[in-house]
Amino acid sequence: MNDLDWIKGTLCILMAGGRGERLYPLTRDFAKPAVRFGGIYRIIDFTLSNCLNSHIRKVYVLTQYRSVSLERHIRLGWNIFNHELDEFIECVPPQLVHSDHVYRGTADSLFQNIQLLQLERPERVLILSGDHVYKMNYNAMIEYHVNKGADLTVAGVEVEREQASAFGVIGSNDDYKIVDWEEKPKDPKPVPGKSDKSFVSMGVYVFNTEVLVKQLFSDVKKKSSSHDFGKDIVPAMIKTNKVYVHGFTEPIDRTRSYWKDIGTLDAYWEANMDLVAPVPQCNLYEKEWPIRTYQHQVPPAKTVSEHSRRVGSVLDSVIAGGCLVAGAKVVRSVLSPNVKVGGSSVVEDSVLLDGVQVGRGARIRKAIVDQDVSIPDGFTVGIDAEEDKKRFTISPGGIVVVPRGVVLD
Amino acid sequence: MTHILVVDDERHICELYKSEFEDEGYTVSLAHSGKEALEALDKESPDIVVLDIQMPGMDGLETLSKILGRDKVVPVVLNTAYSHYKDDYSSWGADAYVVKSSDTSKLKAEVKRLLGK
Repeated sequence: MNDLDWIKGTLCILMAGGRGERLYPLTRDFAKPAVRFGGIYRIIDFTLSNCLNSHIRKVYVLTQYRSVSLERHIRLGWNIFNHELDEFIECVPPQLVHSDHVYRGTADSLFQNIQLLQLERPERVLILSGDHVYKMNYNAMIEYHVNKGADLTVAGVEVEREQASAFGVIGSNDDYKIVDWEEKPKDPKPVPGKSDKSFVSMGVYVFNTEVLVKQLFSDVKKKSSSHDFGKDIVPAMIKTNKVYVHGFTEPIDRTRSYWKDIGTLDAYWEANMDLVAPVPQCNLYEKEWPIRTYQHQVPPAKTVSEHSRRVGSVLDSVIAGGCLVAGAKVVRSVLSPNVKVGGSSVVEDSVLLDGVQVGRGARIRKAIVDQDVSIPDGFTVGIDAEEDKKRFTISPGGIVVVPRGVVLD
Repeated sequence: MTHILVVDDERHICELYKSEFEDEGYTVSLAHSGKEALEALDKESPDIVVLDIQMPGMDGLETLSKILGRDKVVPVVLNTAYSHYKDDYSSWGADAYVVKSSDTSKLKAEVKRLLGK
């Protein structure tokens, strides 16, 4: 069997139905996978680009909350597969056939759409999540899955063992067969041969379809189950099935393994900051593994010096088209399209989303400013914690979030 | 006494199963459509359901999915004249699949096995 056969026998289910409460207020108007990230992208672009670059051509995106924004983005930016060649990226809202309630968990979202598996009858199902930022060749994982003769393969990213206690940790034997699956363990199991590392689950799964269907039915009959792949299905299967971990490395630079779950405001901010370092943790500039998105037509980004003393400057930052930095300083920040920063203002360590207008003499530090917010002249964000607390959401990590629609004076 | 709900749109088959299961000492109630079956489940809380697939209106597979969506778990035996529904993943939610025959011993054996669990 060659690579193409593996890919052809694989259907991808991309789960994009979560409410994204921990990313509120960014998710007030958008599905989490449709939240703007890295200047020009939506979070889901990373997973979809991985599919495209891995030659996965059959993708169902299971939507639910705030799905209009997500469906529009996919329609505008990802209408690139050819149905005549049996290729598709298709959004599937809840069908309410099997039940009258919203998805109770990730496994329930697939259970409620089991007809998609019946329709395609794939040999394998690749299950992905729409809210992770990483670059991964899914073929390598599918090949591994087939060679291992596995029922289920789970992708694991290596993290420092002392930091692994915060995650779901995969314990495996020397053959990478999963023997333990622990949520936030005190003493995380090491990666075989690497005593200082542990495998953390990336929420990327390859299932043999028939095993998956049986597990979904068995899970739905367990009324105490939370109907979640990570919490219920995988732990139940490691006792009875052949479940393996696939060690994740990036497709181009295999020494790297950047993976970030954009689950919280702090993680969102950190992942944006991971793009701005001179040697970024997440490299968007690898031509061999492009990350694709949809972009409006916008004029080029521009800096303007108002006087010799007020130089418009942008340092260690990612800025999208349509931005105008006039006599202001932008440092270690990510600017989405059409952001304007006015004279003498300073923006540091911040994420400014589409259309944000910063007046003159304003200061913004360690903040996320949501779409179309207008920051008045002389206003500060992230400088006076007491003042910020009165108006804005502050993340546990101290990032100030200025929500969309707020009127500031 | 152990209670079986038999769901089949063909009334004479229902009567046959009723008498056969009653001979075995079970209590038997009957439903002739998916809708009646769901109503009977609400009212009677049977211990097991024997479910035909091809019925007018809501068929057995749709009825099965509704049964799975209920709060209370009840074992279901699909009992159909056709074997091809085995290829439909929707049928995999049943606890057993029996192809109808004039000899009911296979059906009885599956019911006994599931109740013995």
